[in-house]
Amino acid sequence: MNDGRVLVVDDTLFNRRLLVRLLTGIGHEVLEAGDGREALAILRAPDAPSVDVILLDILMPVMDGYETLEALKADEALRDVPVIVISGVDELESVVRCIQIGAADYLPKSVAPEILRARIEASLAQKRLHDLERATMAEQALLLGTIERQRSELSRFLSPQVAALVSSEDGETLLAGHRREITAMFCDLRNFTGFSEQAAPEEVLGFLRAYHAVMGELIVTYEGTLEHFAGDGFMTFFNDPALQDDHAVRAVRLAIAMRDRFVALADEWRRRGHVLEIGIGIATGYATLGRIGFEGRYDYGAVGNVIIHAARLSGEAGPGEILIAPGTFAAVEADIEANHAGDRQLKGYSRPIPVHAVVGMRSTEAV
Amino acid sequence: MDPAILDPEAFDHLLDITGGELEFVDELIDTYLEDGEAQLDAMRSAAAAGDIAAIVRPAHSLKSSSANVGAKALETLCRALEADAGTSALPDAAGRVAEAAAAFGLARDALIAERAARQGA
Repeated sequence: MNDGRVLVVDDTLFNRRLLVRLLTGIGHEVLEAGDGREALAILRAPDAPSVDVILLDILMPVMDGYETLEALKADEALRDVPVIVISGVDELESVVRCIQIGAADYLPKSVAPEILRARIEASLAQKRLHDLERATMAEQALLLGTIERQRSELSRFLSPQVAALVSSEDGETLLAGHRREITAMFCDLRNFTGFSEQAAPEEVLGFLRAYHAVMGELIVTYEGTLEHFAGDGFMTFFNDPALQDDHAVRAVRLAIAMRDRFVALADEWRRRGHVLEIGIGIATGYATLGRIGFEGRYDYGAVGNVIIHAARLSGEAGPGEILIAPGTFAAVEADIEANHAGDRQLKGYSRPIPVHAVVGMRSTEAV
Repeated sequence: MDPAILDPEAFDHLLDITGGELEFVDELIDTYLEDGEAQLDAMRSAAAAGDIAAIVRPAHSLKSSSANVGAKALETLCRALEADAGTSALPDAAGRVAEAAAAFGLARDALIAERAARQGA
């Protein structure tokens, strides 16, 4: 393929003519410059043709070969253009220096056409490879940009943990379904049905917006995975997809924070004549997690007794109560103060199960 | 032709690398002669101004083109000039440049004679 564009940089007209002649003779297009500054002007011109190889003399007026080479290598747009240094037989030291700066090759001044042809071909091949690499890199950057955009858009619809999971390496395996111990938390409002009957729909929506905003922010802070919001109720779980050693404590801490924050929200609505109370249930146990749903609409969800257990406890909770299952209590006992709230007969369970009501954190550290 | 002034082998090489095109060889030699005068002028001014370092580049340039046309004696003189000017060890700069100019004159005469002989033949 003799279709390269070569820039010859040499101050000696004799050498330049000879090289131009040789290069055009083997099918290349040739541009000429008398020194480094002229060469850079040609290469950096706004409508500059893309040069494939530069043949560079070392000793030149105005700007010599070293300076030119340094300028080329410092220029993002020109650094990949291969430079072949033209040298006299007694200039070996200079050649070494040029190669150290970044020259690709060197040629003696009175060069046989066959050698010139071969060296130019080799440099052209190198340049084409570089061009291809650049094009591939640009394509990859574009692709990565798209993925990043999708990921950030996705994280507005999904829990941040789930959004991260979708684009992670083991995402497919985890989405396909896996068993894991989690702590599940159900939260809903005691008298929401009455409230939504009395209040205007706009009021109900206004309240839900404020409620979701406050709770959503807390869930993100405590790194819970929100499975769903459904009106006044929602389910959050811990230890999946991101592993959390302290998942039970985290869930209880989140519940305490929610209860605290809910007080201000409820006060505001109480002044408007609506009494709203929060109730929370927490259970720890094994669940199957992954993609749940049908083609066209999947959610990342959890299935298992632990979910039902938490839901039942939430239903059982009185105003402002956080009820926790025995498994959760065992895991948080050291950090959290809780009172035994009796053995409760929960719907669907064959025998009464001991339940604890959370008072607060045991230590003085803030939640 | 004195091979020390003009090496016929270099001329053959020139013919070889230009693909045997005599017309282009003549053009190249004309370029060499013009260029050579210019380099000598630059060396003369540098020597006159006492700017020894400024002799290096034209000496280098004339050295390499002289090598290409086969002007051996001139090439040797230029190589020494380049080297000495580079270390500033050049007490008789003007004399050395004049020496190169004389060698250039001989090479030029030989090149012109060669062409005349070729065209006459």
